[in-house]
Parts: sequence; structure tokens; C-alpha cells
Amino acid sequence: MDEITQARIVETPEDLEELLTAHPDYDVQLESLNQRQLAWRRFKRHRMALIGSTMFLGMVLIGIIGPQLLPFDKNSYIPLDQVSQNGRPPMVSPYFHPFGETTQLQYDVLTLVVNGIGLSLLISVGATFIATIIGTIVGGVSGYFGGWLDTILMRIVDAMLAMPLIYLILVFSEFLGNGSASWFTIMLIFALLGWLQTARLVRSLILSLREEDYVDAARVAGVGRLRIIFRHLLPNALSPIIVAATLSIAGFITAEAFVSFVGYGISATTPTLGNILEGAQQAIGQGNWWWAVFPGLAIVAIVLGINFMGDGLQDALDPRAKI
Amino acid sequence: MKQQPDLLDNRPATAVSGPPTDPNVLLEVRGLRTYFHVMDGTVKAVDGVDFSLKRGQTLGIVGESGCGKSVTALTIMQLLDIPPGEIAGGEIWFDGRDLLQLPPEEMRNVRGADIAMIFQEPMTSLNPVFTIGDQISEAIILHQHVDKKEAMARAVDSLRAVGIPAPERRVKQYPHEMSGGIRQRVMIAMALSCNPKLIIADEPTTALDVTIQAQILELIKKIQADSGAALLLITHDLAVVAETVQNMAVMYAGRVVETGSVEDVLLRPQHPYTLGLLSSIPSLHKRGQQLDVIKGVVPNPFRMPPGCKFAPRCPFAWERCSQAEPGLMAIPGRDVLSRCFLHTPEGAARRADYDKVAVATVMADVR
Repeated sequence: MDEITQARIVETPEDLEELLTAHPDYDVQLESLNQRQLAWRRFKRHRMALIGSTMFLGMVLIGIIGPQLLPFDKNSYIPLDQVSQNGRPPMVSPYFHPFGETTQLQYDVLTLVVNGIGLSLLISVGATFIATIIGTIVGGVSGYFGGWLDTILMRIVDAMLAMPLIYLILVFSEFLGNGSASWFTIMLIFALLGWLQTARLVRSLILSLREEDYVDAARVAGVGRLRIIFRHLLPNALSPIIVAATLSIAGFITAEAFVSFVGYGISATTPTLGNILEGAQQAIGQGNWWWAVFPGLAIVAIVLGINFMGDGLQDALDPRAKI
Repeated sequence: MKQQPDLLDNRPATAVSGPPTDPNVLLEVRGLRTYFHVMDGTVKAVDGVDFSLKRGQTLGIVGESGCGKSVTALTIMQLLDIPPGEIAGGEIWFDGRDLLQLPPEEMRNVRGADIAMIFQEPMTSLNPVFTIGDQISEAIILHQHVDKKEAMARAVDSLRAVGIPAPERRVKQYPHEMSGGIRQRVMIAMALSCNPKLIIADEPTTALDVTIQAQILELIKKIQADSGAALLLITHDLAVVAETVQNMAVMYAGRVVETGSVEDVLLRPQHPYTLGLLSSIPSLHKRGQQLDVIKGVVPNPFRMPPGCKFAPRCPFAWERCSQAEPGLMAIPGRDVLSRCFLHTPEGAARRADYDKVAVATVMADVR
């Protein structure tokens, strides 16, 4: 009898059948899965999302653990003579180790790419994090309060969006970093210019959510306005925000690559994926294809992985989706 | 009911101001006017509503869609969006304070703690991302300043009080795991949880199926009696009013047209609109006959008729009715107020016609 007192979660009708055959006097109570369990179940069924998130998490892992495993200093380019000092002959092809080395500037491409992945991810994830927080606060306040506050905030967003952001980034980076900004400066620039779409998204979500009856119910219960925005409305808007944030990581990765590639990004001696590509410009003409291909592949893997993951999250977090 | 008969104007010029003199009066609404300024003009959704409610008593507000009954409730709670809404005038005396003069901070303490509200749509009135325990305890924590554990225990108690089985397990569940009837019980438990002095129920049974409707009405009656709170019930359903409350107010086009005890108003209606509502109830005894309806439609809110708002549809109307608007008049011998010129000396001749029809209608229903 004691297994009857134990609660058990039955997921499918077949399981229930089996359980009832084994214990005919089993007291069945419906215990439904919560939203998180349902979302995870939908996500698991989305194969591309699983592949994508594996790719992305793999890259994150490489970025975090990789530099610890490599023998070289993680913050600078590795001159080839150091490689020689480690007892290995200078090589000019990828066949010495898979990512190869270069002679002209004497860098080890594997070290560059591994460090570059870490730094590029740090910048883009950090920028996304800050931008999402700013965008959520601005959009939430704007959407809930409406009126002149909404008008002012949204006209600021419109005005900023009317400017081509990429050039704005270049100008800021030149102005703040004199062409050799630290990763932190670049991240802040991205964050300060990247919250606009999030603010618009959150505002539109809040505009529709604030008409829900449960908001009136909360107001009737005497709940304050900020608490209604941040505790009652935002959790309901969380899924689209998460999806947008995921996809914006990919945007920041490519933006960083672009900014660094045109020479306005982080100081050229710091290996981000964009800087590596910039360094590869001449090299590729001289037949050192691996210098450009491997960082390029890293960008593709991260961006593709994130996009698939975001796609899967979008389906999984949609509460109206079927199991 | 101590409004003076006031013949020509629905805005009581003689209106008393200041708190109600009778300390037993919990809620007194006087000359309340709520307007909405929209692109095409101004909608006077509530235009001079007066009623009062004593402690522990029950009042029903009836009227058809758009007559301003829900806006009245939202105005009392001050849940309107301003703009486009505007509270253009009036006083709402609640427990010795004029709610319209309260600073927002204090109004927030009144909501939930002193006045609770039950909504029409139980399916959408609970936040889908929180457990119902969280939602009930939120108000308890806010208003009674207890810790989370104590608040949860009180949430369980209030769920038990509204007859939800296994409340300890229910508090951990999400709204989507419950049926409409259970959710409405949860809403009632939420309303109860802070021991309010007044419960406003805005069409609490409209979204439920008929068998559940009866249960929920019974429950509302029971908790009202047990807790001693006053109840303001808003509905379009005369049967609900007849079963649930002691006093009622009939609203039409933003005004109270008749108010009094349920027995008086339903059995001896003193206003042609109330009479029209009563005669349009389908009844077994009228089987095969054509159903009486009130002719015409509710006036366009942008172009209200000049005199009595009901005059264009009223079978008893004469010239006087389209020239001036009657005030709420006390009916001699009854505890009823009616906004109709039939009760003035010059309406006396038509009054006999009216009484004949009224008696016939009510007798047909009672029989």
C-alpha cells in the first residue's frame, strides 16, 4: 500500500494504463505539468534547436575553457618564435595542428580563434544582457504608463533608430576608444545602442497585456504600479523577450566582427573574431586560407547555433503551442 | 435614501455635501459623473448617479449593456484610464471619506483592504504565470503586513471558506489547471482574504454556465452574510437581483432611474423603464404570445435626447418629457425613488394608465 501514498507523475495515457493495471486501487489525481516542463518538452522535440543549442553551448564552452588549456598567453597574439621555443618547429600550414599558424605575422591561429570566441561571446552576451535590461525597463514603463512619458521615450527610440546604427557605433568607438577601445567599452557602446528594438518589443507586449483582466484584478487588490509592471506583466512577456535576446546575441557577434574588421573596434592586439579576420585580409591573398576560414567558421557556428536555438525557444515558450 | 425630490434637474442643486449623516451608511454615491473624451466627442457614461448602501447590506445595480453600471463600479474603485476618462463631478463617500479626494497612495490601501472586487471573467482574471496561492497571498502581504508563510496559511483558509476541496494542494496550482467555477471561487477567496467592508461583484456569474451560476450566487450570499461585508452586485439579470440582494437601483443611460427595495421595485415598478424590463422577461405563462420588448434602441451617447433620456422609447411619454429631465422623486407611501414625471401632479392623469399596465404585467409574472 505504501507506493499508493507516493505521488507519481504520469505523462502519457499508456503510462497511466500500465500503472492502473499494476495497482488497480491506485488513486489517480491529475497533476499537470507546469509551463516550464511543457516548454522543455516542446524544445526537446525541436531537433534543429537541439543541434543549434549544442553548437552554441559548445562554442561557449570553448570560449570559457579553451584558453585555460592552451599553452599561450590568452590576451595577446602569440608570436611564432614562442612556439619554436616550446620545442616545435615553425609551421606554415594547418597540418601541424588543425588551425595552423602563419609566418608573416607569426601568429598561432588556434590560440587566436579560441581566445577570439571567448572574447566575442563575452562582448555580445554582455551587451545583450545590458541592452535587454534597459529595453525592458524603458518599454515596460512606456507601455504601462502611456501618455507623455510614452511619447517622449518612443520618440527617442524612433530618432535613434532613424540613424544608421552601425555608423553610430563606429563614431562612438572612435570617439570613446580612439580606435583601440577595450572590450568593455565596445560592449557598453553595443548595449547603449542595442536596446531600441527590445524597448519597442516590450512596449508592444505590455500595451496588450495591460488590458488583461488580471491587471485590473491586481490593481483592485491594491498592488502598486511598478509592482504590476515588473511582477505581473513582465513575467507574461518573458518568452518573447528571451527569444529576442537570444537572437540579438547573434547580431552583436556579427556587429563586433564588422566593427573590428573595419578597424574601429577593440585594439588590434586583442584577439576578437573580427580582429582576427581583419589581420587575415592580406594573409588570405598569400595562400594562408586557414587564417580567415577558422575564425569565419567560428562566427558561422555561433550565429547559426543561436538562430536555431532562438527558433526552438520561440516555439517552445509559446504558451498557445500544442504539446 | 434621503435625496430630496428634485423636479427639474438630475444634478441635485440642493444636494447635500459632506459625509453622510447616518453612520450606518457605508457607501454613498452622490451626483457621480464619469465622462469619456473620445475623438467624436464626449460620452457621458455616468451622468448623475446617486445611491447609498448601508453596512452589511446588499445593493444590486441593474441595467442593459452600456447604461454605465460597470463604469460606476470602476469609478468607485478609480480604475479608469484618465484620460480618456474623466470624473467630472460628484462625491463617493466610503466609510467617512470621499474616495474622489483621496491621494492615490491612500486609495491603493482602500483597494483590496476595504473594498474588494469580483470580476466578470474568471478565466482571464487570474495571472497565468503565478500559482493561485501567490496571487491570494500578495494582497494579504500588502495589506496585513504578515510574512509569506502566514499569508499562505491565510490563503489556504480563504480557499477553504469558499468551498474549494483540498485547498493545501490548490494553492500550489496554476490558474490553467482549474475550471471556470473554481476560478471564480478563487476570485471570491481573493476578495475575501483581507476582510473588506465592501465587495463589488461586477457580473460575477455572466461567464459561468447555469448550474455553476446558482452555486456561485449562493456562495456570494453566504460569504456576504458570514463576513458582514456590504455587497454591491452589478448585473443585467433581474433574476439574479431578485435572489441575491435587498435593495436595487435600475440604471438607464448613465442615470439611476429607480431605486428601492427589491420587493418594491420588482413587484410595484414606479418607472416605465423598469416596467419595460419586467415585461420583456420570457415567462411560461406567456407561451405562444409575442414577447414584449422595449421599443426603440438605447440613445446614441453622443446625441442624448434633451429631456428624459427614456422618453423616446417610453409609451407613457408626453411633451413635458422631452422638454425637461425629471429628478429622482420619492414615491409617497413606498421606500422607492423614481425619475419620472408620472409622479408629478401634471402626470397624475397618465398615472392611472401606467398603474393599470404595471399591475397587469406584474400579475402576469407572479401568477
